[in-house]
Amino acid sequence: MPERERKKSGTNLLYSMMAEAASYDDAVILGRGDPDFDTPEHIIAAAKEAMVQHHSDTAPPEGLPALREAIAARVERVSGVAYDPATEVVVTNGGQEALFLMVLTLIGPGDEMVVPEPNYNTYLDSTRFAGGRQIEVDTFPHQNFRADPADVRRAVNERTKALLLVSPNNPAASVISPQDMRDLAQIACDHDLFIISDEIYDLFVYDDVVHTSAAAMPGARERTLTLNALSKAYSMTGWRVGWVTGPAPLMERLRELKAAITGATSIISQYAGIAALTGPQEPVQMFADTYVRRRRVVLDALDEMGIEYGVPEGGQFIFADIGFTGLDSMQFAQRVLSEQHVLVYPGSAFSEARKQYIRMTFLQPEGTLREGMERMKFAMEGIRADIGNGSAR
Amino acid sequence: MPPDSVAALLQRHRVNENLNAAVIPAAARNTLDLAADAVVGPLDERIIEATGAALDAGHTHYEPVPGIDGLRATLAQHLNEATGAQYEAANLLVTAGMQESRFLTLQLIDAGDGAIALPEVVHPGARKALGARPRETVSLVVDAERRLPRLAAIRAALEGGSRLLYIESPSRLSGATLDGDEMAAIAALLADHDAGAIIDRGLAPWASGSVAAPTARVALIGEAFPGAGIDSWLAGYIAVPQDWLPPIQSQKQIMAICTATPAQFGALEAGSLYAEEQPARLAHMQALRAGLQQRARAAGLDVLAGGAAGLLALRLSPSQKSEGLARLAAAGYQVADGSDFGAPDVLRLTVCDAARAALDLLADA
Repeated sequence: MPERERKKSGTNLLYSMMAEAASYDDAVILGRGDPDFDTPEHIIAAAKEAMVQHHSDTAPPEGLPALREAIAARVERVSGVAYDPATEVVVTNGGQEALFLMVLTLIGPGDEMVVPEPNYNTYLDSTRFAGGRQIEVDTFPHQNFRADPADVRRAVNERTKALLLVSPNNPAASVISPQDMRDLAQIACDHDLFIISDEIYDLFVYDDVVHTSAAAMPGARERTLTLNALSKAYSMTGWRVGWVTGPAPLMERLRELKAAITGATSIISQYAGIAALTGPQEPVQMFADTYVRRRRVVLDALDEMGIEYGVPEGGQFIFADIGFTGLDSMQFAQRVLSEQHVLVYPGSAFSEARKQYIRMTFLQPEGTLREGMERMKFAMEGIRADIGNGSAR
Repeated sequence: MPPDSVAALLQRHRVNENLNAAVIPAAARNTLDLAADAVVGPLDERIIEATGAALDAGHTHYEPVPGIDGLRATLAQHLNEATGAQYEAANLLVTAGMQESRFLTLQLIDAGDGAIALPEVVHPGARKALGARPRETVSLVVDAERRLPRLAAIRAALEGGSRLLYIESPSRLSGATLDGDEMAAIAALLADHDAGAIIDRGLAPWASGSVAAPTARVALIGEAFPGAGIDSWLAGYIAVPQDWLPPIQSQKQIMAICTATPAQFGALEAGSLYAEEQPARLAHMQALRAGLQQRARAAGLDVLAGGAAGLLALRLSPSQKSEGLARLAAAGYQVADGSDFGAPDVLRLTVCDAARAALDLLADA
């Protein structure tokens, strides 16, 4: 597809690249955050059972009580924050709707939200829909893309309404340390700001890194909305089950917006969600262990290619610097896709300032990842040759 | 103690009347639910088998934003047969149910500089959808019998600058439909004023005969295959001219990525069975409704004109309504209150066997 047609929002750009990748029979997809594992069997079995036993059940917009109870228990277990399932949990159509609802609840026309840069492109789309504006705080690969609380404090002004905290981060895979989280929560308290906390990758942290929940910080619970979903942890991207937790007054308004936007969440998916959260958890650990190995495969290959990256401390992505090639991320991603049928996402889809980065996933089998990395090395040889000829562009 | 910012935020939302519109409640435990606009029927085993097979085959991952190709094509074919339209799969977007269809069309279809014209009697979900990001609206006066917008009101709104209408046919409150002549007149008005319309025809499968609906300059919205027993699986549709689709699809991606795969594969199988199964369901419901209507009229109750077989709307005096609601609540019935639609003199009941006893309670009020 000609580049001029890609002068679109980051979201649309990624979709046009996915469409091109889908046209190649031998494509290696390292773009989308969709785990290759199918949903665990016991969850599918529960869905089938629900089709027989509960096909006509109705649910309120905030979700089935049993699912909200399971969510509250999960959040308390993982994050150490207690929520009342009756008033402080809302079930959503995946993390994506959760994200949209949180922004629409807290951000109005003219409001500003301080965000780490880079961040997931849908936050910008949602903020624009709400009539708000993002104020970006730069992060750097040598700091593994961790946002510095001092920079965040400097970015706050009288129009700021919220801080966006994404940990582990998408696309940069950084994890906010416990001390930084405490400092960021203190900034929110000092300036009476809301916190939007995206913790969808909370079960996927690597090495000795620990996940910290924003709402668990002193003074933060009453001003924080937190999202999570089943998509990544249980390989349930197609089922569209996520949730938001937060203090009752904010959740009442978020529930009204949920009723306005989509109403209830599909009943079969909700019953599957109950099975996921209350059933065997071994598959989640198996996924996490697998991602550790796969991450190593990609990082080793990048090292061999001399491509620098921020060490992914969590999540399912690697954000790598290809600036030395002389290509911008769109050119690089397009070349790798067209020549080698390997789909990586250009950093420019996530931030105009990240044109020298690409985002890659490690959600494919190790053999597929090795194949994709071999092809990328081949592409890199061509690019290096072009650099030598002064014709990389 | 909540932070000051919470209080300020709540005040901002509190003044948004549309957002505060009612939600038709889901049935509470131990309640006989007569609030739905049609009863949820039994589920064909073939739908369970097909959906389970799709999940077993690995359809547990993201699907395309506008929906799986087969379902889009099936919906297009269904609408073409029902309306005489010439939709292709590319005109269709699968939604996570009727409310998402309302939201995406009311929020994303270009209304120019004018207000969106909304009937004064309309499903509360339409008002809520507009409240999520407030858009200017103008009210269309409805007739007393059908509670459908008057042509004169539509003409006046368009002449006043509105470039987008929202219409229900059948009405979500009364079940009445706009006839072919009225729809043709609306289509002509849209063309004359370079305007568009969103037409909720979700209840059309419950109406006898074909329910007219123009398709040029129009977004048709509704539930996917109502009556097939998959109502709460939540699959809906938006059918639009292809050049209307990109902003709607983009917003669908932003807020949902795709519609749940079990709902989509369930709807796909329901669609393949619909022509075979729905006529018998409709005939059964029509007979049930005719009996209820006769019973209501014999008891002196005033039944609103309406053709959709799934519901029965009654016009009541204020005292009759308040006493009737109290009696129904005491007996464990939940019905739809017309006040939530903009018609405070109306109660709406789901057509089903249990509605007989509810009618008797209302007749005694």
